[in-house]
Amino acid sequence: MNWIYKGKCWKFGDNLGIDGDVMPLRFALERELDPEVLKPYLMAGVDPDFPNKVSPGDIIVAGKRFGQGNPHIQGFLGIRGHGLGLVAETIPRGSFRNAINAGLPFLTGCEGVSDDVETGDDLEINFKTGEFVNLSSDLTRQFQPLDPQLLAIIEAGGWHANLEKRIAKLRSGESVMT
Amino acid sequence: MGKTISEKILSRVTGSDVSAGDIIYPEPELVTVHDWYVTNFDKALQELGVDRLYNPDILVISTDHEPVAVSLQAAERQKQVREIVKKYGITHFYDAGRGGHGHVFPIEMGFVKPGMFVEAYDVHVTNFGAVGALAIPVLIEITEVLACGSVWLRAPDTVRVNLTGALSPGTSIRDVAQKLICDLGAARVDYSVVEFGGPALASIDIAGRHTLCNTPIEVGVKSALIEPDQSTLDYLSGRVDGPIELIASDPDAVFREVIDYDLDVMEPQIAVPPTPDCVVGVSQVVGQPVHHAFIGSCAAANLSDLQAAAEILRGHKIHPDVRFIITPGTQEIMAAAEDEGLLRLFAEAGAMITQPGCGPCAGGRIGGVANGETSINTGTRNDYGRLGAPDAEIYLGSAATVMASAVTGMITDPRDFLN
Repeated sequence: MNWIYKGKCWKFGDNLGIDGDVMPLRFALERELDPEVLKPYLMAGVDPDFPNKVSPGDIIVAGKRFGQGNPHIQGFLGIRGHGLGLVAETIPRGSFRNAINAGLPFLTGCEGVSDDVETGDDLEINFKTGEFVNLSSDLTRQFQPLDPQLLAIIEAGGWHANLEKRIAKLRSGESVMT
Repeated sequence: MGKTISEKILSRVTGSDVSAGDIIYPEPELVTVHDWYVTNFDKALQELGVDRLYNPDILVISTDHEPVAVSLQAAERQKQVREIVKKYGITHFYDAGRGGHGHVFPIEMGFVKPGMFVEAYDVHVTNFGAVGALAIPVLIEITEVLACGSVWLRAPDTVRVNLTGALSPGTSIRDVAQKLICDLGAARVDYSVVEFGGPALASIDIAGRHTLCNTPIEVGVKSALIEPDQSTLDYLSGRVDGPIELIASDPDAVFREVIDYDLDVMEPQIAVPPTPDCVVGVSQVVGQPVHHAFIGSCAAANLSDLQAAAEILRGHKIHPDVRFIITPGTQEIMAAAEDEGLLRLFAEAGAMITQPGCGPCAGGRIGGVANGETSINTGTRNDYGRLGAPDAEIYLGSAATVMASAVTGMITDPRDFLN
């Protein structure tokens, strides 16, 4: 898996709600889990044109409490559908789990990162090591990457894919502890 | 460095040195799933090609959300659940009429021990903390636990609450529990285990401890548990096989926060719409007319709740404009209520008495409300729609407050009945 994302920065503020801001609530109620269905609605509550502007490898940089609200996974599946990465100052715990389970490469706990970027900056992020470079302003920061066991779930493709992998291991008699 | 109760439990079950924040795959020693999720996990397992459970012997299934099938759909689902239980060889199946509420009877029957690690589909499994177990809800990821024996967990930190003081007359632990989650708020306890201890703990019985461990989940805790003590040993003696060991946090354990909390909350406390942590003193809402009232749910299922209600009800009748429902938590509690003459008292006063389980709190499938109506009850949550109708107001309170309100037809301070 390629952990290094090189692309444009899309900067958002604090307190983006997972329902409404990041993804319309109706998809959570319909239990829609297909990233292809979800991706045209990403950020519909704050920038309806967003899905037409982004390219794979671009990075969403968010402030505090990204994905707050009832923990629904659809917004994170939408981000993954576009092949985007995510860097946030904080992510509440229910959404943290959903971001892992959606198989999305992300960094969290990146205090002050909103001050380091503007929309349109060229960024290069290594989600495995936590290295963050703003190529436009020649700024490098080192953030804490996710635990290797969580990176393994993301690498497998998220919760369901990882579960399939564990079940296959179990069948072949291997330990299922990752 | 010292460890909290939760860190000790997770260290033991993983055979490693676990501290808050670690990513681990702990194997639970007990798993519970209720009647409304059994067909879902079966379907998920089938899609994954899994035809046997990792450990069917630690799984407890309870028919508590809809024990009395009042629709063809419910009867069909119950039939499917029975077939699924047979297919996987699940031995601890408590069908309608056998156990009662799945967050209550496993404690009563000795399935839960101090220091045990439990995972469940449903959020209110935190009740098992009443006897010092760490019980964590994992929702749909229970499928992974059933198939593979575990699912990833970020070891939670702990907020220690030292209980002090004493209850003021006419108040109960439910009043304290409601006010506590209001005072704590979501930000202070997000993802933490709330660990209760302190000098006043000895005054709180196991039923009160259920309630203390039940309510914090509403503000986003990972779980809640009581530091087990002599009362725990006394309660479990004769219920649990084998030795019981007490467990406590080390003196130098690292807590996110340590809080002293006084049991004297001055007056009965009411959760007002739309969430359980919107809590006010009863004096602010007295006189609000009610159409529906019930005592039950995993937050208030015990004999002591029925006793508190009976103390108010004796010599009175349910108000003509109110439907009042009593749902004892378990078969054992219902039988004990019969022994004490409580069921007769409720029946003669105009109450409906339902099969043990969740009662109306499970979405209002049993004894729900209509739009425009108001309910006061001892349920777990008061979101709009919790009792079926999207446009009904729900207030939550202690068994005594609910009973007093059902008698007068309006929200009432139960102390008016006790003087």
